[in-house]
Amino acid sequence: MTALLSVRDLTVKFGALTAVSNVSFDLERGGALGIVGESGSGKSVTCRALVRLLPDTARISGSVRFDGQSILDASESELDGLRGKHIAMVFQSPASHLDPLMRVGDQVAESLRKHTDLSGTKIRQEVLRLLELVRIPNPENWLHAYPHQLSGGMKQRVMIAGALACQADILLADEPTTALDATVQKRILDLLNELRRDHGLSIIFVSHDLGAVSAVCDDLIVMRRSELVEAGPVADVIGNPQHDYTRMLIASHPDRQAITTARRGTSGTPLIEARNLHVRFGNRTLSDLFTGGDSRFTAVRDGNLVVRPGEALGIVGESGSGKSTIARALVGLVQPVAGKIGFDGNAAQITGARRVGYLRDVQLIYQHPYEALNPRMTIYNAIAEPLRRHRLCAPSDVPDQVADLMAQVDLWPELASKIPGQLSGGQCQRVAIARALAMNPRVLIADEITSALDVTLQAQILDLLLRLQKERGLTMIFISHDLAVIRKLCHSVIVMRRGEIVETGPTEQVFDTPETDYTRDLIAAIPHLPEAVPMRSR
Amino acid sequence: MFLCGLTLVVLWGIVALAAPLLATSDPIAINFEAILAPPSSEHWFGTDNVGRDIYSRVIYGTRLALYIGLLGVISPMVIGMTIGLLAGYFGGWVEMLAMRLLDITVPFPFFVLVLAIVAVLGPGIENYFIALAMVGWVGYARLARAEAIVLRSQEFVLAARTMGFSHGYILLRHVLPNALSPVVVYMMTDVTLVILFGAALGFLGMGVAPPTPEWGIMIAEGQIYVSTAWWISFFPGLAMILLGIGFALIGDGLARMLRIER
Repeated sequence: MTALLSVRDLTVKFGALTAVSNVSFDLERGGALGIVGESGSGKSVTCRALVRLLPDTARISGSVRFDGQSILDASESELDGLRGKHIAMVFQSPASHLDPLMRVGDQVAESLRKHTDLSGTKIRQEVLRLLELVRIPNPENWLHAYPHQLSGGMKQRVMIAGALACQADILLADEPTTALDATVQKRILDLLNELRRDHGLSIIFVSHDLGAVSAVCDDLIVMRRSELVEAGPVADVIGNPQHDYTRMLIASHPDRQAITTARRGTSGTPLIEARNLHVRFGNRTLSDLFTGGDSRFTAVRDGNLVVRPGEALGIVGESGSGKSTIARALVGLVQPVAGKIGFDGNAAQITGARRVGYLRDVQLIYQHPYEALNPRMTIYNAIAEPLRRHRLCAPSDVPDQVADLMAQVDLWPELASKIPGQLSGGQCQRVAIARALAMNPRVLIADEITSALDVTLQAQILDLLLRLQKERGLTMIFISHDLAVIRKLCHSVIVMRRGEIVETGPTEQVFDTPETDYTRDLIAAIPHLPEAVPMRSR
Repeated sequence: MFLCGLTLVVLWGIVALAAPLLATSDPIAINFEAILAPPSSEHWFGTDNVGRDIYSRVIYGTRLALYIGLLGVISPMVIGMTIGLLAGYFGGWVEMLAMRLLDITVPFPFFVLVLAIVAVLGPGIENYFIALAMVGWVGYARLARAEAIVLRSQEFVLAARTMGFSHGYILLRHVLPNALSPVVVYMMTDVTLVILFGAALGFLGMGVAPPTPEWGIMIAEGQIYVSTAWWISFFPGLAMILLGIGFALIGDGLARMLRIER
């Protein structure tokens, strides 16, 4: 049987830069192929080259055959017939690939209007059928909604519905779940599996997450620096990797990481604690004044947490659950409407003139490595800034201090004169950590600090934090939607949902015997690498 | 492109400084023997209705144009940036106050308001500058506010706050440098506008008093002769265009240089 999609020696060049070099693979009808690699490895470019969705500056060579037809030689009008109708695409950020001014129904109907001669009520029925297919509850209610009214997962479902509108043979999914919460990712992965099983859809799934890929795909190719380094059935590649890079990818997966925290008993007085914390956003309306109500949005309700010296606390939950808000309340970026925050046995001085003293002890590291650094400030100045402003050391000692801090987070001294734009994401995150350490804090709050990084970088940053925790005896609060990370790092866990703490306890207890369905869902959604060699039926 | 603009403006600067050397005759000397003379070897750009040499007047006019243009944008820029950054960064009642002030200024056409203020204060360049400061800040404030609103929730500004730095320091060190580039570009286009409005004021008799060589007044004076003696308005107009293009190119170039690749 010949392959549905056959790619031979695919090479894509942008001027002198080779983005994809000699990539070959086959996709059979009903098959699912995963493409894995770090950002910049050429996986997305490969994916786009398959449907020639690349700028004119790209030079593509090799051959791509769909059902015997050469795509690289096809005319623009032949391509229009292929794209959408036979090969459909789903992208990483559903928010930016849906037209914000177009209603959901029209969005899905668009390709039906273009590629079929259905009309009026037929299209409506078809759209409803598609929305049902991607498991959108009560599709009638959503037909007239605009994209901004939908959650991230719902948007991705609408994207998939649009892609499937013309019973495409192949779905190209480029990091479709990267921007989504673990539980939502799980549901999208389930949906893809279901579409494959019930409708014979072939899938090409691009991701940096081996776990997610192995949940959907039979075959896997691993790309690095524009080249294909390994290919084969998922179970073989993961069970018996041939290339060093593949081994590193597998080793970086939280499942395989041999990180162990010193899980000491939790005794002693709490270093940092919050009691009955309430945070609300927005303004009171006039009607509140008369009714005595409060129409502000409640971001955190009755938040309690206790962290003892040297402990690591994990806060998990979906996006919007209030976990970042708690972190920001702890450093005074948002003012709670009620509740107490205590530090080292006293009430924390979060506002006012004495806040500097408190902030020297409690530092927050942010999620986005590039955004957390002033783009116009050199690395040296970024790290030296707190030392100089707060006179943490003599002016003549600043250069030595900065060099020392950079060494502690494994940054080369040459980077000191660079600006953030010249650094990689992982390096920027190290700078942010060094800057926080300059304050010599006792508590470090890490707010999703690895979620914007590639898997291998994630592992390195986590290693670094663990080392610092041991060396400096730091107390940590980890905020993450990645439960696998939390499980490896934290002594105790808080599970949050819609602003409320639904479960709390020692890590093992919460993970092994979860009390609420929500926690169970979260745990079930962690994408795991296949342990043994589970053979799938073809 | 930036270099082209810079060269143009620098050339104009040299012209302004070296005006006495470059001019072929006294810019305000009346010569009734050469009224409305077309461009010739004696009068390179021709003469006007009272026989003054257009070339020399254009050369001397450069001084006033650059003086008005450069000085006229500084105070609106400083006032506008300050109000805009404070409003955008702090939000709340500061923003409310600044925006209402803006709402009061915006509905009136720019020139009408400048005209009204100059009419009250009396004619003259100084009063024109005061009027500009009172009206012209609006555009800068809007731009700066928009930038500050984006920047205040950026993580590096939040990080500066959790480092315990004061608001004043954060505004100067972290917000201002990152909000500057659109403002600088706007300033460069504003220079041209300020020169043009200065000329229009002169035309209405509320700016520079004749016979001072000023491009706007010259264009206005040549208006009635346009069909018979085109050169009276043409050359000062050309000079104005070349200076305007120079500033616009500098603005574009600066925007490109100030932008940071992420």
